[in-house]
Amino acid sequence: MNGWQLFWTIWLLFSGAAFAIITLVVTLKGFGDVKRMLSGIKAHDKTSE
Amino acid sequence: MNFAAIDWIIVVAYLAGSLLIGVMAKRYVGNLSDFLVAGRELGLHVGIATLAATEIGTITFMYFAELGYKAGFAAFCTAAISGIVMIIVGRTGFVISRFRELKLMTVPEYFEVKYSQGLRIVTGILVAIGGILNMGVFLKIEGQFLTIVSGIDSKYLVAVMTAILLLELVYTVLGGMVSVVITDFLQYVLLSVATILVTFYAVNTAGWENITAKVTTVMGEGGWNPLANQRFGWTFLIWQVLLWFAMCACWQTTAMRMFATNGPKTAKRVMTWTGVIFLGRGMLPMLWGICALVMFGTGPLGADGSPTPIVNGHAIAPIEAMPAMIATLLGPGVKGIVVAGMLAATMSVNSSYLLGWSSVLSQDVILPIRSKLGKGDLGSKSQILINRLANVGVSLFVMFWGLYYPLSGSTYMYLTITGTIFLSGAFVSVVGGLYWSRANLLGGYAAMLMGAAGAIIPFFILHWDPNWTGFCAFGLALLGMVAGSLLGKKSNSVPALSAAE
Repeated sequence: MNGWQLFWTIWLLFSGAAFAIITLVVTLKGFGDVKRMLSGIKAHDKTSE
Repeated sequence: MNFAAIDWIIVVAYLAGSLLIGVMAKRYVGNLSDFLVAGRELGLHVGIATLAATEIGTITFMYFAELGYKAGFAAFCTAAISGIVMIIVGRTGFVISRFRELKLMTVPEYFEVKYSQGLRIVTGILVAIGGILNMGVFLKIEGQFLTIVSGIDSKYLVAVMTAILLLELVYTVLGGMVSVVITDFLQYVLLSVATILVTFYAVNTAGWENITAKVTTVMGEGGWNPLANQRFGWTFLIWQVLLWFAMCACWQTTAMRMFATNGPKTAKRVMTWTGVIFLGRGMLPMLWGICALVMFGTGPLGADGSPTPIVNGHAIAPIEAMPAMIATLLGPGVKGIVVAGMLAATMSVNSSYLLGWSSVLSQDVILPIRSKLGKGDLGSKSQILINRLANVGVSLFVMFWGLYYPLSGSTYMYLTITGTIFLSGAFVSVVGGLYWSRANLLGGYAAMLMGAAGAIIPFFILHWDPNWTGFCAFGLALLGMVAGSLLGKKSNSVPALSAAE
């Protein structure tokens, strides 16, 4: 049981840390992606017109 | 009432902001591709945000917390499987790369490319039934969460559910995938902040030593080892691995994000990094459930072997323990941020699911049937209109089902079984179609129908154990594909598929 306890504790620490770090990166870089997406859609629609 | 004025201000400001941004995105919807796959312009970071937000809702927090409350740390195996499978799919591009190259908009569309229009319609019907039944319990459980945390009287549950649904419906109907992606991004940020805050408060209050001691005392070895827990075992683990491979490849809302990326490479990277997030998506709310067990798990043992939660002298259901804990733990202001985060999670999931299942109804059932009846092709605007009407139809059904379906047993098991109705056959047919040259139309029909029968009959009629039901559905779908393909005529190669290969 102690082995499982250690196993899940390590998983939990890794998962929590990864969740927080990825959230931070996505938050900082996501705005740029949204802007590019909207300008890409506009450009597409203009071309198809 | 558990809410202070500051909490209401935060929540109302969030709702108004979300609605405004979602509605403003309408001007970017010029054609059907914009409406359903955001013009295939998703980049990596916003792709991760929208995929994660789509699959992290209040419903996710509720069923994972319930699972953590009932099964302890052993429940972490489901989170580990989901994350690892997503990372494998992302790294290898299994199915998702081919799908992206084919420029599909829905999963059943592939069935017409590879098999036939008839099988596309059958698959569309099964996908819509499974998906809408799956979504049918969301509102009730989300409403439960909000009424418990905010302290609104439970007699207002229906009004709360209706208000949530209407808000999501407005911006999904107007702006389609463009609205959904932008609001998903903001909602992902907010729900992540809420997730981190609740984890911090819950562990800090319950205490790590108490958490491990309670799980060991109440559940023994079964609280840690999934193979020693009667809820899980080998059949469950194998079924979950198959289910998660199928979810990554064929779950409409996930697949739509892959179709919407700006290329196959981005699709693979989005899947890989979201897989890492999925480890925390499961384990953190399960930990909240375990913390709720520490704080409230003092009642007599229930039928499933877990202690009944007792809050202020009243017995409640295990699924209500986590929101009761949040209502107790958080102070004014923080509670508002967390509830806004949970609302964000709710809205991102529901709007994506509404769009996903209604797109299948319109693109894979209504329009192909129309075409079979000999009616001419519709323009992009008419197709968008049909999608919008399907959105409204799905919403009405979800309201009805959420109010009247009596959910018994674990919510997680209900959700995975309803998903298995179409995932077993769709996954086998897609993998067979992409990677086995012998796969043919008869095999496709047999896989879809036998997979659906293998999930519906054992679970809803024979009341089998969910683990065996899931196992049976995938097994029957595989048997159907192999037997049907070997007995039927070999299909001709499809030009679109050859080009993608």
